[in-house]
Amino acid sequence: MSTLPFWATVLTFGLVIGMAALLLNIEAGWGGMWDLGIAGQVAVGAYSYALLTSPPDAVVPGLGLPFWAAMVGAGLITMIVSALIGWPTLRLRGEYFLITTFAFAEIIRQLIVIQRGLTGGTFGVTGIDKPFAEYFLPSAYPFILLGLAAAATVLVLLVSQRVSNSTYGLTLRAARDNEPLARSMGTAVDRVRIATYALVGLMTGLLVAPVYVWFLGALVPASFTTHLTFLVWTGLVIGGLGSRLGGLIGAVVLTVASEAVRLISVDPEHASRLAAFQPFLVGVLLIVLLRWRPEGLLSERGAFRKRAKPLDRIRRDDPQTLEAVSA
Amino acid sequence: MQSLVFGLITGSLLAVATAGFALLRNTERFLHIAHGQFMALGAFLAVVLTAQWGLVPGVLVSVTVVAGAGVLCGALLFDPVKPQGGNVLLFTSIGLAWVIYALLIAVFGTEVRIFEVSLGQGWDLGPISLAPGELAILAIAALVILGLWLLLNRTGLGRSIRAVASNRELAEVRGVPVVRVSRVIWALSSALAAVAGILLGVLGTVTTELGWSNILLVLAAAVLGGTGNILGVIAASLVLGIVMDASALVIDTSYRPVVAFVILIGVLVLRPEGLFSVARRREVAA
Repeated sequence: MSTLPFWATVLTFGLVIGMAALLLNIEAGWGGMWDLGIAGQVAVGAYSYALLTSPPDAVVPGLGLPFWAAMVGAGLITMIVSALIGWPTLRLRGEYFLITTFAFAEIIRQLIVIQRGLTGGTFGVTGIDKPFAEYFLPSAYPFILLGLAAAATVLVLLVSQRVSNSTYGLTLRAARDNEPLARSMGTAVDRVRIATYALVGLMTGLLVAPVYVWFLGALVPASFTTHLTFLVWTGLVIGGLGSRLGGLIGAVVLTVASEAVRLISVDPEHASRLAAFQPFLVGVLLIVLLRWRPEGLLSERGAFRKRAKPLDRIRRDDPQTLEAVSA
Repeated sequence: MQSLVFGLITGSLLAVATAGFALLRNTERFLHIAHGQFMALGAFLAVVLTAQWGLVPGVLVSVTVVAGAGVLCGALLFDPVKPQGGNVLLFTSIGLAWVIYALLIAVFGTEVRIFEVSLGQGWDLGPISLAPGELAILAIAALVILGLWLLLNRTGLGRSIRAVASNRELAEVRGVPVVRVSRVIWALSSALAAVAGILLGVLGTVTTELGWSNILLVLAAAVLGGTGNILGVIAASLVLGIVMDASALVIDTSYRPVVAFVILIGVLVLRPEGLFSVARRREVAA
């Protein structure tokens, strides 16, 4: 058995989690909105994509749209759902926001299980339309998929970079650090937050969910449990909450490390022990990192250190730097 | 009527689990997500041990072991990160939840287990039917909660716990042994989780998903009950249990958990101070 397609598939999954972690970083790292409902958003995007592309005469009937139109559609649907969820929940603070997003994700998953007619229930949606699959041999397709995932990741990275360098990103972080001050400076904190929530929803539906769907090949509700949410969170915590690239690096390292054990061949009676390895690794990494390196591999301070411009230094009323700048 | 009885049983089991969760939430100030996994751990240990040693010793040993595990986790994993605040404690708890979940799968496997205990033939009492086993579960849950209430309100230890819950610094200054109280709380909370997990297992089945499927209900009940009073938590659990089971009369039973979460979200959005709390939750309004 050749292991190269296997690694391509693992890396694809790593990039999916990485993209989700980059988006979560905008929301939680910079925005301070600690969201435990990622799996719900990804589920909405994934099922939207699957139902938009699935032909009208399939077991689970859909609209039969081409993949790019379905991506846009999934993005818009997820954005609207996120905004609808965000409107009531963003008024809550701290642990209440966590619980509510957690509960929303669980409601979405339960609804997917219950609404068999629309989503296929626990049997799920099979026969996913993968882009360009007809032009390539099945053995070569994992590499094509990896390429698509990489392209999507680049797009997410560009958005994330754009946010981090913009006034909007600064406002987001200001509202996180000192909300009363940000409000008193005239920032519409609620609007910035709901816009962020909607942006994350849009990107999740447009890029993360479709690539995840292509990677999965078939949709079942079990792919959208809290496990997915915590995988993304652990990736981000490993990489560094608030850093620019940390989420991507952390998520890829985490998924590659935890999937690598699948290469170990074992007899079936030990299979359950192997299945337990990934949650074990996720849990241990979370506990250990939070204790000994809570800022992650790349920290927020590191990410924004070089951003001190001469203008920032003048404002500090330090005569030395004033001279240095004016000289 | 029958669904009212089921709701009462569901609610009282939820109350036992949530009381333990709320103890930790009020004194250590974080959401203990791993609480659900302690429930599952208790249930699995009890299934194995009762089959070997009989019902009563098996249950007692499992509850003791889980309580000990709780104390150890509290001292070794949670105390060192306490200065970093509630969110770090919360994510440490999530990490611990995954570790326990993985260990449960590795040790006990993923197949469904059941207690070798019969609930007995149901008695017909007018409009309702109740098995002796169900009555026993209800009685045990009521006794445990009554015991907890007496402990909190009628003993010196309970007064120390309530003192730490209302103002940790002041309690410390006034000579309450905060660390020892914290250990007791971890033991109590984990033991309550184990009892709830075992009772749930006796009533239904024991699976590795027991923890994850119950923690959201526990969260919901704890939030609905508000902070501060254990009676609020119990009332909220009973209401949640009864509404969930009564909703089966109106809509499909598969919507049961959805109903609970919709209530939770509704209450959080409309009445952020909780159903049964007088004082406003300042962190919500701030």
